[in-house]
Amino acid sequence: MDSNAIFQILINEIRSIIPELEDHPIARGDAMADLGVNSMERGDILVSTLEAIELEVPMTQLFGPRNLGELADLIHAKSAQQ
Amino acid sequence: MPNQHNNKAPLAVTGIGAACGAGFGKDALKQALFGTENLFSFLERPGRRCEKQDTPFIGIELPEPIPTILPPRIERTVGLSGRVAVSVLHEAWHEANIDTVDPGRIGLVVGGSGLNSREQAIAADTYSKKPAFIPPRYGHMFLDTEVGAICTSTFPIRGFCHTVNAASASGVVATLQAMQAVSSGQVDVCIALGALQDLSLIDLQGFRAMGAMGSPSFASTPFEASRPMSQDHEGFIYGEACAALVIERLDTNRAHYGTLTGGAQVADGNRGPEPNSQAQQQAAHMALQQAGLHIEDIDYVNGHATGTPLGDKTELETYRELGLNKAWINTTKSIIGHGLSAAGAIELAAVFLQMQQGQLHPCRNMNPALDTSLKWVGTAPQQHIIQNALKFSFGFGGTNTAIVLQAPSSEGKSQHA
Repeated sequence: MDSNAIFQILINEIRSIIPELEDHPIARGDAMADLGVNSMERGDILVSTLEAIELEVPMTQLFGPRNLGELADLIHAKSAQQ
Repeated sequence: MPNQHNNKAPLAVTGIGAACGAGFGKDALKQALFGTENLFSFLERPGRRCEKQDTPFIGIELPEPIPTILPPRIERTVGLSGRVAVSVLHEAWHEANIDTVDPGRIGLVVGGSGLNSREQAIAADTYSKKPAFIPPRYGHMFLDTEVGAICTSTFPIRGFCHTVNAASASGVVATLQAMQAVSSGQVDVCIALGALQDLSLIDLQGFRAMGAMGSPSFASTPFEASRPMSQDHEGFIYGEACAALVIERLDTNRAHYGTLTGGAQVADGNRGPEPNSQAQQQAAHMALQQAGLHIEDIDYVNGHATGTPLGDKTELETYRELGLNKAWINTTKSIIGHGLSAAGAIELAAVFLQMQQGQLHPCRNMNPALDTSLKWVGTAPQQHIIQNALKFSFGFGGTNTAIVLQAPSSEGKSQHA
């Protein structure tokens, strides 16, 4: 699974958790906070994405990305290590 | 807008919201109380179904879908008890018309604890083998602050919000706390909400194991199982419910259901389910004294009346010792089941609705009454204009409460139509 596939899973989880974003375009350069996603929702999205790809990594190792593209890249890198 | 000038006026109920097995809203509750439809069946929600070899639990569940005012992104994160609370509070809020009240002068007391235990049991089952994937939101969803927090994040309540627990007396204890908050001037308006007790299968099994929950003899006839104060009673029957009452100082220019003129809570020192007639009587005496009434002034009693053999027997002793043989008495749990944390609140709502209707609801399955020396409403509605009502509510852990409700004064147009 490459970074783009993980990005698509992130989008699916965002739209599942925030139905209001169903028709809103989401790009790799978007940050979830800028899309109006609050911190609890960001946590839900991250955990449900990790569950979808069956990747167990501590949440603290996923801090740092500035946008969804960087987050997908980081998750991909962690996934590749396992 | 509530009257904030006459700070000695009695406490009035200006809005009521309710949900029971008959549906959402007071009209559904009235239909349940005065209609003939049976609400009892077998419990079917996920997390409550028995294994095939076990006897299923009898009870009442709210109909789906649950009406909501929450946006989808919030709705999806809120448990059953919270979603029902918002719906019920919405009805009470708009009836009381308190949109113009300073939010800092509005309080909320939620009655009940362990309100989400069915969903917690499902989550424990789901995530016990994959704890890494627990949604972060569980960090606050398991707390008993959750229902109140959903309400205050949806409605402009900024005075205070807290949750009190007194087992099956939680709804009345929340009401007593709300009365105190208005009486003391802490807030001008306080809402008491008896929250839905969302029981899990293990909770139900616990009640069955302790012998509190019926009913083995009526396992194939659920509509006969809830029979408080009647021969062949074997225990209480659960019924999902929720109710909210908006309490403020009486302003005769504002529509209201009636007044709450006295209330008391007595702890009797029991840890478990054991009832205590002395403490029940003491609570009644204290509530009557506060209301400035005598026992003979009471013309209607809404009992706690769960249907457990010892509970009913003890409560009957209380009625007799108090001399309540001239007041009409009925058993709301025979119609809508036992809502546990919600019971006291929805039964207070039932008293006000009967006051408004000018009739008393029947007692289902009262055949025959355990004590025929008392004045029971039979199996048909009874025409009666309530003037002064006494409501009892008791809870495991030694809680005994009594509360006095009075009809709106005949002076001035004041009763909700």
